[in-house]
Amino acid sequence: MRATATAPATTQAIRTGPSLTRVTVVLGGGAMLVLTAMVVAVAIGSVGVGVGDTVAILGHRLLGLPLARSVAPGAESIIFDVRLPRVLTAMLVGGGLGLAGTVFQALLRNPMADPYIIGTAAGASLGAIAGLMAPILLPALAIGLGSSWLGLGLVQVLAFAGGLGTVLLVYAVSRANGRVPVVTLLLTGYAVSSVLAAGVALLMFFSGQHLGAIFGWLMGSLAAAKWVNLAFAAPLLVISAGLLVVRWRGLNLLLLGDGPAANLGLDVEREKVVLTMLATLATSTVVAISGTIGFVGLVVPHVLRLAIGPDHRLLLPASVLYGAALLAVADLGARVAGGIPVGIVTALIGAPFFIWLLRRSRMVRPVVTQ
Amino acid sequence: MTAALGSEVLTEVVGLAFAFPLPDGRRREVLSSVDLTLARGDLVALAGTNGSGKTTLLRLLTGVLQPDAGVVRFEGRPLRDWRRMDLARRVAVLPQQLDLPVGFRVAELVEMGRAPHARRLFASTEADERAVARALADAGALDLADRFAEELSGGERQRLLVAMALAQEPDLLLLDEPTLHLDLAHQVALLAAIRRLRDQRGLTVLAVLHDLNLAAAFAPRVAILDEGRIVADGPPAEVLTPDLVRRVFGVQVDEALTPDGRRHLALREV
Amino acid sequence: MAPRLRLPSTLLFLVALLLAACRPAASDSASASVQPSISSAPSAAAHTAYPLTLTDDAGQQVTITAAPTRIVSLAPSNTEIVCVLDACDDLVGVTDFDDYPAQVADVTDVVVGAVVDVEKVVAADPELILAAGNGLTASAVIDQLTGLGYPVLSLYPHDLAGVYDDISMVGQAIDANGVADEFVKGLQARANAVATAVAGAERPRTFYEVGVFEGSIYTAGKDSFLASLISLAGAEPITGDPASTAIQLEDLIAADPELILLGDAAYDQTITATSVAARAGWSDITAVKNGHVVVVLDDVVITRPGPRIVDGLEALAKAIHPELFP
Repeated sequence: MRATATAPATTQAIRTGPSLTRVTVVLGGGAMLVLTAMVVAVAIGSVGVGVGDTVAILGHRLLGLPLARSVAPGAESIIFDVRLPRVLTAMLVGGGLGLAGTVFQALLRNPMADPYIIGTAAGASLGAIAGLMAPILLPALAIGLGSSWLGLGLVQVLAFAGGLGTVLLVYAVSRANGRVPVVTLLLTGYAVSSVLAAGVALLMFFSGQHLGAIFGWLMGSLAAAKWVNLAFAAPLLVISAGLLVVRWRGLNLLLLGDGPAANLGLDVEREKVVLTMLATLATSTVVAISGTIGFVGLVVPHVLRLAIGPDHRLLLPASVLYGAALLAVADLGARVAGGIPVGIVTALIGAPFFIWLLRRSRMVRPVVTQ
Repeated sequence: MTAALGSEVLTEVVGLAFAFPLPDGRRREVLSSVDLTLARGDLVALAGTNGSGKTTLLRLLTGVLQPDAGVVRFEGRPLRDWRRMDLARRVAVLPQQLDLPVGFRVAELVEMGRAPHARRLFASTEADERAVARALADAGALDLADRFAEELSGGERQRLLVAMALAQEPDLLLLDEPTLHLDLAHQVALLAAIRRLRDQRGLTVLAVLHDLNLAAAFAPRVAILDEGRIVADGPPAEVLTPDLVRRVFGVQVDEALTPDGRRHLALREV
Repeated sequence: MAPRLRLPSTLLFLVALLLAACRPAASDSASASVQPSISSAPSAAAHTAYPLTLTDDAGQQVTITAAPTRIVSLAPSNTEIVCVLDACDDLVGVTDFDDYPAQVADVTDVVVGAVVDVEKVVAADPELILAAGNGLTASAVIDQLTGLGYPVLSLYPHDLAGVYDDISMVGQAIDANGVADEFVKGLQARANAVATAVAGAERPRTFYEVGVFEGSIYTAGKDSFLASLISLAGAEPITGDPASTAIQLEDLIAADPELILLGDAAYDQTITATSVAARAGWSDITAVKNGHVVVVLDDVVITRPGPRIVDGLEALAKAIHPELFP
């Protein structure tokens, strides 16, 4: 029996969430941006293929439309086999990183958080480099360059496992009395990352002629994009993104602190585990197929928060869309600049942007303490 | 301890004990054996010395902390049998301090108080929006709805926190030092609003107050927490005597009578 | 010839590093006689039967369906092989490092700055792609090109015999068996001539300087191709770590070379006998004290595992035993 009587119908309602217009503009705009970026990025490359030809080829291969015009030899292969998987990978990776960065920044209540902060990058790097060097160290594994599990290379599998495994380790170590305080998680992540990074450095020292390949992986690159990697990554990313986007309320509540969030009905420790694992799943998937691309996961949430506010209801889906568009464009820049690793482009864009953001006070203090 | 005859017991605390684990492995006992009963519609002020465990008691009442001994029952069932979400729909806390995330408008923060009642995946229902409006009105914060949290003054922030708690539409409202940052006018206004809510809607209130006179003016029942126990529980006239004040707080006060016959505890010159 | 200023010396150094670090498949690199083992070429100048399946140096089975007329090369050594087989005109894609013979400068660069541009490779519409093994051409790129349906042969010779085998293999792939045979025979004859000439001579302890950067000294790795060449040229090579090809200065001083060959002088005119003598700790080395520090300008052919490798062998032999090769 509840004691509170219903209020008289004259009480007005106060709209609290974003209006339909706002949602349409932000998310619809993001979707349009992604589509445009996709077409532009697929149309531009080191070999000139006209936009008309590009659209015709895409329509032909994706929608089954007949190829009305005759295109240059190799153009179809270039567009569909070389560029399209690369652009789609860029979008998937950018979306995953943007989303994971947003989740970690809220979860850890730390504006400097990025998707790699609790050890994903260090673990995945160690796994990937072990995979790169394994055929040398263990000749039994050198069964040709295309050794694969389910079509994935040894590098991808080890990177994925390394990323996930490291976070599980960090989480387990941070647990005390059934709780995982956010600060402990951060510090443990930093410590474990440092140890693994030392391992990475050691392997790099003994890597000989593989140093270039290792460095390329560490900087992050989409050059090795292929359909089989997409087939592995896309379902994982769609699932983790879908499960994360609906948890916006929990993320908003966590911003209030563990105690108040619990008072509002949130199972705080369980939510932290779920959020951490989902975001880490997305991050590990992304790192496995593209290496450790930096700055996207750090900058996209901040820029979006400045533009549309910190409410995760809109922020989470927006981070996926705008992260995808950003990386597709950055990868285009990387290709045009001579095939440099895309991580260099994101660093060159991201670092100055980040410094500019730092000067705006709203980013520096994520909370106002009573 | 004495509940009015015939009224339903909402919260019952029996033999509650709690100790904090210290870094060196020892434990610091905060509550040794607390007994407290709140009936529906009770308005109780809780007072005690610093460190007597008032905040800890509130946290034990919400189930955020687990006691070392004793039990807290809400609507007859022990807290650990309650699902967190169900409890959050009935019990709201106004904490002593709260980190307010930057960039949210007041209305959006108050809406977070609707989280226990949330039904839809993305949108809020009309019932939610009306509840937000009502909470803001009750807290006297309607004019703040579109302001950003970081722009508010201390008093305005306090009203926001009250609105957030009220948005939960609780049966039991726990207030931890709600008057801390408020000037006298706002203190009175806030407590008057709480009192009105209790009178009109049957809200049960337990408020931690440090100002004994304010407590006396506000609540028909005062409980004193000292050395881990409730040492007094009853109408202010019986509880807030100079004798008790000297025993618990170690301060000598005189009892004075106002022209209209109410008691007041007056400090001697410091 | 003037050093190529366009190429960053560090990049070329990395190529040399590869060569210096690779290990010969055969264990008797010190023996003077070179026994080539041509796996599948018939003795007469027979035509290749297509479809042809070959096992390349990376152990991959590669199938070529018809005689290729459009060839893409992803490494300078591969380009040179194609050209000595008289198929230079069939090249439709090369790297921007390719400098020999001169006519390849006109061919489209599909590899720029050591990065393979897959789109350009596809646009060139090749029927055969010759890649560099052991990670020089990124394995991801080889995977990608194979996945797009192109036959990709990875070439990675560990020693002279390996170079002969590679030339023969490419000859078989493009139906130029006769030319390949001739050329390989020529190379073998010249190599044997060098071996014979230095057979009885003293073998000085020789240090081949690949590069000195920031206190790290790089030379021929232990059991590497370069080490085997130096040995064939009639000297005892002083070698470095098999993986990193680095050698510590103390180890170099302890090994005390009698002869120092400055391979990096080909790219940096400031490296001379004088500049070496001025290096801290080097002045007590026998080679420096006796003035046996020789500038070698043929580093490119010494370290490029292609058809001109025997030119490199001859250059080494001349630098080590000038009196035997006037």
